[in-house]
Amino acid sequence: MRTLLTLLLAAGAYAAPPSKIFPYGYDLHDFPNGLRLITIPTDFPNIVSFYTVVSVGSRHEVESGKSGFAHFFEHCMFRGTKRFPPQKWEAVMKAAGAANNAYTSDDLTVYHATFDKAGLESIIDLEADRFQNLEYSENAFRTEALAVNGEYNKNSTEPANQLEEKLRDTAYDRHTYKHTTMGFLADIKDMPNQYEYSKQFFNRFYRPENTTLVIVGDVDQKQVRSMVEKYWGPWKKGAVKPQIPVEPPQTAERKGHVDWPTPTLPWMMIGYKVPAFTENMRDSAALDLIASLALGQNSPLYKKLVIDEQKNDVLQGGYQNHADPYMFIVYSRVKNDADMPAVQDAIISTLNGFKDTLVDAKRLEAVKSNLRYSFALGLDNSEAIAENLANYIALTRTPETLNQVYDLYASLTPEDLREVARKYFVASGRTVATLAHKKEAK
Amino acid sequence: MRALVLLFSALALQAMELVTLPGQSPIINFRFVFRCGSLNDLKGKEGTAALTAAMLARGGSQSTPYSDIIEKFYPMAASVGDQTDQEMLTISGVTHVDNLEAYYSTLRDMLLKPGWRPEDLKRLRDDQLTSLRVSLRQQNDEELGKEVLYNILLGTAHPNGTVSSLEKLTLADLQAFYKQHLTQANLTIALAGKYPEGFAERVKKDFSQLPAGKPSAVNPPAPKPIPQTRVTIVKKQTRAVAFSLGFPIPVNRSHPDFPALLVANTWFGPHRSSAGNLYQRMREIRGLNYGDYSYIEYFPRGMFQFEPDPNLARRQQIFQMWIRPVEPQTAHFTLRLALHELERLVEKGLTESDFEDTRSFLSRGVNLLLKTKANELGYRIDSQFYSIGEYPEYIRNAVAKLTVEDVNKAVKKHLRKDRLEIVAVAEDAEALQKALLSDAPSPMTYNSPKLADILEEDKLVSTRKLGLKPAQVRIVPVDRFFQ
Repeated sequence: MRTLLTLLLAAGAYAAPPSKIFPYGYDLHDFPNGLRLITIPTDFPNIVSFYTVVSVGSRHEVESGKSGFAHFFEHCMFRGTKRFPPQKWEAVMKAAGAANNAYTSDDLTVYHATFDKAGLESIIDLEADRFQNLEYSENAFRTEALAVNGEYNKNSTEPANQLEEKLRDTAYDRHTYKHTTMGFLADIKDMPNQYEYSKQFFNRFYRPENTTLVIVGDVDQKQVRSMVEKYWGPWKKGAVKPQIPVEPPQTAERKGHVDWPTPTLPWMMIGYKVPAFTENMRDSAALDLIASLALGQNSPLYKKLVIDEQKNDVLQGGYQNHADPYMFIVYSRVKNDADMPAVQDAIISTLNGFKDTLVDAKRLEAVKSNLRYSFALGLDNSEAIAENLANYIALTRTPETLNQVYDLYASLTPEDLREVARKYFVASGRTVATLAHKKEAK
Repeated sequence: MRALVLLFSALALQAMELVTLPGQSPIINFRFVFRCGSLNDLKGKEGTAALTAAMLARGGSQSTPYSDIIEKFYPMAASVGDQTDQEMLTISGVTHVDNLEAYYSTLRDMLLKPGWRPEDLKRLRDDQLTSLRVSLRQQNDEELGKEVLYNILLGTAHPNGTVSSLEKLTLADLQAFYKQHLTQANLTIALAGKYPEGFAERVKKDFSQLPAGKPSAVNPPAPKPIPQTRVTIVKKQTRAVAFSLGFPIPVNRSHPDFPALLVANTWFGPHRSSAGNLYQRMREIRGLNYGDYSYIEYFPRGMFQFEPDPNLARRQQIFQMWIRPVEPQTAHFTLRLALHELERLVEKGLTESDFEDTRSFLSRGVNLLLKTKANELGYRIDSQFYSIGEYPEYIRNAVAKLTVEDVNKAVKKHLRKDRLEIVAVAEDAEALQKALLSDAPSPMTYNSPKLADILEEDKLVSTRKLGLKPAQVRIVPVDRFFQ
C-alpha cells in the first residue's frame, strides 16, 4: 500500500492525507455517573458546536404501537423545565446567537447547537437542565404530537420515504428496524394518548450512561470539563437496557411493492442483511469499500445505468452503520417502468460479480483515496466535525473509531472483499422493494 | 433612491473580479460566479441558463468525456457544482490542496472548453425536466407552493425553466448563451484555502480567455400591482394543505431599510427556528403543523437546509410566509391565523424587548452564516452585487444603530396585511375554495385544553372575514405550472 502510493505520487497522481484520519486532538473524559465528554478544540474562531449524542433511537421502540416514539420524544425535549420553560430556553439560545435543532435515527438522537463562544457556559447549563429536569404538561405533550403528525404530512409526498417503510416492513419480522424512525401513521395518530409512556421513556433511556457530549470549536478543554462537571455532574445514572427482539435469520428472498398514487419515476430499493457495525467492523469496512466500487460515480454500473444508457437518474447506497444487523441497501430511481427488471438484474449481477472476480487493485486504491479525501474535505467547520463524529459516537462513544475504520479500509485486500461479498450477497438475505405510479390507486 | 441603487449595482462589475481568502486550510474552494441567469433566458427558451451551467459542471469538456472526468475526480473526492438563479450563475468546486493541479486543469477545461456532447445534453435535460415534472410538482408541496408564489408575483419562470421550453432547447441555444453571457464582464472568481502563491493570478489569466463581453444584467420585470388579495389553489393529490403567501417588496440588501426589515423578519418568522413568533403561535401553542416561517429574501430548498445558499442575489425580492402542511380540516383556520399574525406584525410591530433580543441574536448569529469558506466567498460576492460591505459587519453595524421605532417604521412602510397573493396546495381544492368564499366561521378544536387568551384569540381568528369574491379564488391543476 505504501509503495503503491509512493509510486503514484512520483507519477504526479493523488496523494493521501495523513495516516490518522481524524486530525484533531481531543480530550475524552468519563464522569462517575457514566456521562462521557469529548472536547475538540479547533482553530475555527469564535464558534462552538455543542452536540449531545444520546445512544437511543427508534431501535428502542420495543413495545407494539410505539413506533416513532424516540423521534416524538426528541420533540418533547423542547417542551421545557421549571427553570427554563420553552420561551426562556429560546431566549438563552437567542442571546448566544445560537442555531439549534435535533434529529433522531435508528440508533441515536442528537441535540445540537452552534453559537458564539461567549454563550458556552449558559448553554452547557441550559442543556444540562433539560436532560435532568424535563417537565412538560400533558397539554403541551398532546399539542406536540400534532406537530409530529404535521411532520409526517410534509414528508408524505416523497415516495422514497414510503418505499423505505415498505422495505423495512418486508425485510424484518421481529427487530425494531422493521419500522422507520418516523413510525407508522397509526402509531403517530395515537401519540397524543401516550403521555405516561413518554415519562417512562425519558426515565429509562435518557441517562448519562447513554449520553456523550461532543463540544467542538474555539474552546479550552479544562474550562469545558469543569463547566460540564458543574452542570451535568449531578445527573443520576440508571439507564434501562431495552429487550430488543433478535431478528431470526432470513431464509428466502422477499419482495414488496408500493402503488404510488401520483406521477413519479419508479423506485427500487434492494437490501441485503449484513452484520451490526460493532459486531464485525472489518466486514462493515469491506462493505463500505464494495459500495463505492459497485455504486460510486466512477463504477462501471453507474457509468452504464446513469451516464451511458441513462436508464437511471439515481443510483447510490451502501452499508449503514447500525447497532444491530441492518441492511446493505441499493437505492435506484429509474426513468421508465419498463426498465425496472433490467436495472434490477444489473444491480444484482454487479454485486454477485464481487463474489467471483477479484476487484482491480488500482480501482480499490482509488476508492480508498476517495474515502479519505471525502472525509478530509468534510471537516471544514466545527459543526461539520461534530456532525461527522455523531454516528460513530452513538455506537462506540469514541472518535478513535473513525481512525480504526479508516485503518481497516487501508488494510483490506481484493481477497477480503471477495470473501465478504460471498458471505452477504446471497439471494436468501435479499429484499427487493419497488414503487411505481399506479393511476387507479387511491 | 431605489432607481439609483439599481443602476449602481447593475454597473458595479464590468471587468473580471477576483476575490481571495488565502489561508491555512488544505481545502481549496473555487467559486466562479457569473452575473447572468434565468432573467437572461430568451422567451420560449426558459431554462437555458440552468442547463448551460449543468453542461459545464456535470458534462464533459472538449478533450474529456464526462465519465472520464468522474474517473479523474473520484480518487480526489473532488467535485464541481452548479447553481443557477435569476441573476447569478455559479459554478463551485472543492478539492484538497494535494490534488490542486490535477483538479484545476480539469475544471478549467470544463469551463473554458466545454464538450457540448448530445449525450450530456440528453441526461442533464432529463434531470432538469424531472426536477420540474416530478420533484417540484409531485413530491414537495412546500417548494411547489413557494415557487408558484414567485411565479405569480414576479411573472418570471422557475430558474430551471418550463417543461415545454426545456424539451425544445438545443445545444446551439446553450452555446449561444455561453458565448454571450459567460464572459469576463460578468465573472467574479473567488478562491479560498492554502493555494500556492501566484495561483489566483494564474486562474484569472486563464479565464481571460473568455470573451470580454458586456454586462448581462437586465432589470428584473417590475411586479404587477396586486389590487386585491387573490388565492390560487394548486390542485393535486396530497394528504395535507400547504400555504405560501406574500407580496413583492422594494427592499433588497442594498436598500437602507434592509437591516430594519431583517430584524422584524427575524423576530416574526426566522427560518427553521423555534424562536420565531409565527412558529410559536401556530405550531408551538396550537400544533397546527411542523413549522411556520417568513422571508424577505429568496430561499429555495429550505426544507433541506438550515442556512440559505449564497449567490442567489436578486434585486427583486418578495415578503413571503411559509406555512407548512396542515390537516385539510384546519386549513381555513390556519390561513386566517397566518393573516391575523401578519396583521399584528404590521399594526403593532415589535416591542422594545422583542427588538433588543432579536438585535442581540442577529449580531452574534450572523457569524454562523459564514462558518465555511465556501460561504464566506459566496457572501463576499453577494455583497459586491448589492454594493454593501462584508455581510456580518454590515449587519452588526447597521442593527447597532437601529431603534425599535426604525424597525416598526420599516415594517409599516414595506409590509402589509392586505393585497396578498396566497397559494395553497390541496387535493380537495373545491372544498377549500368553497370554505374561503363562504367566509363562514372555522372554529378550532384541540386535543387538549388551551389557555383562555388563546381561546379568545381563536374566536376572533375563526370568524375573521377574508371578503373574497369568486374571481379572487381560482383552482389550477398542478400540471399547468412550469409547463
